[in-house]
Amino acid sequence: MGLIDHKFEDNFITTSIDRVLNWARESSIWPMGFGLACCAIEMMAASASRYDIARFGAEVFRASPRQSDLMIVAGTVTKKMAPVLRRLYDQMPEPKWVISMGSCSNAGGPFPTYSVLQGVDKVVPVDVYVSGCPPRPEALLYGLMRLQDKIRKEGTVLRRERVIMANTSEPVLVGDALSRGGRS
Amino acid sequence: MILKLLKTIFLVDLVKGLWVTLKYTPQPAFTFQYPAERRPTAPRFRGVLRLQTEPGTGAQTCIVCDQCAKACPDDLIALGGHREPGQKIKVLDYFDFNLSRCSFCGLCAEVCPTKPIKALIMSEDYELGSYNRDTQILRVDQMYDGVPIEQYTH
Repeated sequence: MGLIDHKFEDNFITTSIDRVLNWARESSIWPMGFGLACCAIEMMAASASRYDIARFGAEVFRASPRQSDLMIVAGTVTKKMAPVLRRLYDQMPEPKWVISMGSCSNAGGPFPTYSVLQGVDKVVPVDVYVSGCPPRPEALLYGLMRLQDKIRKEGTVLRRERVIMANTSEPVLVGDALSRGGRS
Repeated sequence: MILKLLKTIFLVDLVKGLWVTLKYTPQPAFTFQYPAERRPTAPRFRGVLRLQTEPGTGAQTCIVCDQCAKACPDDLIALGGHREPGQKIKVLDYFDFNLSRCSFCGLCAEVCPTKPIKALIMSEDYELGSYNRDTQILRVDQMYDGVPIEQYTH
């Protein structure tokens, strides 16, 4: 690390506290499996021996939010489920991250109805969105790797900004605005 | 009774279980080392949408017929083009695809009428992870080149 690197005798490693803590955090992300629909099947497949999410240190699926670092929201979040999800997120200890897995929790998926939450980022701050319907287990692992990249860049003391897109509308396609006058 | 006692003394059930473990030990590992090796997808696998160009020339194959946008059950595709004098087909100006809501049903690729090369296909890319909602709208250059895959740097 910088100036004092290789200044001491052998078997000395110099590093920064941020790096050590981030290394510890990124390599033991204990997820809370929030399986709500068919994406949960792929999440289970990712944790089984074929894809083996344990290779990334994230194999301990906790049933309790108090012991978990990462919430994998896998499936359709209905508006009845949303307060429960927020409560479980609040019960997780810091530092905590959220992966939104699949189209339903990303943006509501094929359910633009009154009963389905249009994107889980309306209630909790999402770190990584994994697209797919459902995503392959590899895609979930890819999302986990992107989350590890994100953790590596974070500071330990300074809190990262957390954005909840509560009152924002869905991003409008350019062509929609031009040709059809926006989504109905 | 005696038999059961002998079984208990000589740990027959334990040895049986360990024998199963031993039988599986020399087999190669079942785990698929994902970031190092990619598993081939099935021929009918539907990944993220991709626009195709003509193989040799790189010319545009999309004829801006708007069929895919009409076929999409969630109105996720928006495309448009303009006519240019001297050219037979319309020139594609923009092709916006909202990936975040897509359910990968493949109806858009199914109705694409261009022959012999389909302009719109479901590719084999499934590695889709983004940090915010805005990057999930794919613009026309991403529709041609695909979403870039970041390498695992750990």
